[in-house]
Amino acid sequence: MTADALRRHGPFWLSLIIGMALWEIAGRMANPAFFVPLSETLVRLWQLTESGQLIRQFGESATLFLTGFVLAVAIGMPLGLLLARVRLMRVALEPYIMILYATPMVALIPFILSMMGFGFAPKVLVVFLFAVFPVLYNTIEGARSIKPEMIEVAHSFRSSEWALWREVMVPYTLPFTMTGVRLAIGRALVGMVAAEFFLSSTGLGQLIMTAGQNFDTPGVFAVILVIGLMGVALMRIGLMVERYFARWRD
Amino acid sequence: MASLDAWLAKPATAVSRRFSLALSQTFLPRLVAGLAILLIWEIVVRAFAPAYVAKPTTILLAIPKTIADPAFLSAAAQTLIAVAQGLLISVVLGTLIGLIIGRSLLADRMLRHYINGFYAVPMIVILPLVSLWFGYTSGARLATIVFASLFSIIVNVSDGARAVPREYIEVSRSFRSGRWRSLFEIVLPSSLPYFLAGLRLAAGRALIGAVVAEFFTSINGLGQYILLMSRTFRHDEAFVAVLFLAAFGVGIDMVTQGATRRYLPWYRRDERTT
Amino acid sequence: MEAALAATRESAAGGGRARIRVRGVARRYGALEVFRNVDLDVADREIVAIVGPSGCGKTTLLRCIDGLMPVDEGTIEVNGERITQPIAGVAMVFQHFGLFPWKTVYANVAYGLKLAGASAAEIAERVPYFIALVGLKGFEQAYPYQMSGGMQQRCGLARALAVEPSVLLMDEPFAAVDAQTREILQFELLRIWEQRPTSMVFVTHSIEEAVLMGDRVIVLKGRPSSIHEDIAIDLPRPRSRETLGEPRFAELRERVWSTLFSEARQAEFQLEKAR
Repeated sequence: MTADALRRHGPFWLSLIIGMALWEIAGRMANPAFFVPLSETLVRLWQLTESGQLIRQFGESATLFLTGFVLAVAIGMPLGLLLARVRLMRVALEPYIMILYATPMVALIPFILSMMGFGFAPKVLVVFLFAVFPVLYNTIEGARSIKPEMIEVAHSFRSSEWALWREVMVPYTLPFTMTGVRLAIGRALVGMVAAEFFLSSTGLGQLIMTAGQNFDTPGVFAVILVIGLMGVALMRIGLMVERYFARWRD
Repeated sequence: MASLDAWLAKPATAVSRRFSLALSQTFLPRLVAGLAILLIWEIVVRAFAPAYVAKPTTILLAIPKTIADPAFLSAAAQTLIAVAQGLLISVVLGTLIGLIIGRSLLADRMLRHYINGFYAVPMIVILPLVSLWFGYTSGARLATIVFASLFSIIVNVSDGARAVPREYIEVSRSFRSGRWRSLFEIVLPSSLPYFLAGLRLAAGRALIGAVVAEFFTSINGLGQYILLMSRTFRHDEAFVAVLFLAAFGVGIDMVTQGATRRYLPWYRRDERTT
Repeated sequence: MEAALAATRESAAGGGRARIRVRGVARRYGALEVFRNVDLDVADREIVAIVGPSGCGKTTLLRCIDGLMPVDEGTIEVNGERITQPIAGVAMVFQHFGLFPWKTVYANVAYGLKLAGASAAEIAERVPYFIALVGLKGFEQAYPYQMSGGMQQRCGLARALAVEPSVLLMDEPFAAVDAQTREILQFELLRIWEQRPTSMVFVTHSIEEAVLMGDRVIVLKGRPSSIHEDIAIDLPRPRSRETLGEPRFAELRERVWSTLFSEARQAEFQLEKAR
């Protein structure tokens, strides 16, 4: 291993080992009701996996997340493009979109519960609401930033409206949408857990709630770990996707 | 036709052009759109939904009643105070850690993955844990708020500290400015825009954290107020609380953006951070 | 000047119908009149260069000819068709290159063809040819951000050529590249034009470029602008580096220069007053 590689990756592995060690030591010293060591967490994690419970609940959460998220992108992007192109609509709706973007969507959960009850649909709605505004907002802002020269070139080659969308507006806006998608991932995750906490209890949210109620501290830690890793993985994917679509930008 | 198309396609980035357009071109459409939304809302709810569901007219009527309601006022105060406290802690802690990470490559390499890891954990997930530790108290809410907002500050401050243009450092060194002095005179001001961006995000997340914690722990606050009102079919009152939260969220946005524009007119940055 | 204009019409009439006919054209921005009384004919396979001071509206005139902008007075006809928007058979090369950053060189060059409804087979046949013609062979999969200004403009040129226009409109095409690349591209363009001659309107700031490229040089100036002079460039074709050294080249260049810069200071004061 070269000295340079050691210098670059050494600190990471070192801090990881130190972190794990600290967790283990602190866990053993602390009150087991409040804090458990890494080893117990991993054991509990293994138990949950073996019993199939983790996989099952993960599947439920993943379904919820994907449904709401895909809907948010499927609606957010075209709507954003439309608003970017039709100036009147955009100007008219802009302030309201901004207000919604700045409003904590969590606050609407009690209303959704009251009106739609338990079930899959209201939870999807929650995830959707959490995720759609970053996608929408970034798409609009992105499409708006297109240089007039691009439109002029298309015009000089006698581009139809449809071709303008297909060849110019959509490819240009895609990276901006992907930035919005990346931002939406984190929010959608919060929405997913919130829906599972406060609406009908399913998935990983249910798992962690049950563990908390049963004072199964290792279980709580285990599920937090799983969700945390899930979040990290999704963020990574989001970044990669964003970078892929922006590869023609310098 | 050609010129109309070109006019419609004009992007709004030509700021001066926008401002020179008659006010009616922006104000009127917005007014009309807003009224249309309210109208559709009112009609749909009246036609299809049960009587207790919130609609614009009843919300409007509920506003004076709610604002005068001591329960609402105390709830609002509780939430806002908690958010302020939590943000203060996040700002102090986060700025410190952010500066260290930003200027020390070693610290950055060792801590970055933890920071990113915790940042990716949805804030709501720690609630069962935090309520285990602090019980169903305002301590749990404060912890949630701090967890929700801390990492936005850290990430942005460290970005800012790292991004101090080398030219500035060169200038300060060629004028023989000391380490601490350059920290204050150069690193801090050039990081300020990043800090403000981080603060804006942190404040938004802090608000979410507060509401979510109040849902979970049922302690006094706007979240709990909304929950209570909606459970007892007083949706209009609950919605007034939502409006209050929305106003607060928008207010924070405007203040931070205004502060950036006013005190840092030399700076421009597009919304690309998390 | 009247005689020069009459000569233009005659030569056009003599060599067949003019490809481009500009008659009595004027353009205003609100109260400000940019140019007026512009009469211009461009014959088949003729290169007409337009020079003038900044703000004289030469770029605007070019855009009017392309149909990107309307004229407030007069008419423009290209290939006998009245221009109200861009038509087939006319292609423009832009100062800012105007390449789509998300498209490769290949996709950019194919753009005009695609829009015109060419089949996949046609595109696959023509695009590589034009890419090679402008000297970008091997860079088909490159993105604009990976290329220098000169390469990008070659791509822009290929894109315009690919639709096989009878009229090429060049909007200061080499203004945004460095001086050396500019010289190279000038001769590249001349070489390409010799192979596939089209009518061309070439707007430029550079007097030398205008004299080098053009069969005629139009001097546009005044406030509001109009055609001050139409100078015939009787240098032999094909033009090359040797042309630059010819005494006649220097004569013509001085002629254009003096037309352009006579009353220069007066024009400056007029500019001040207009503000």
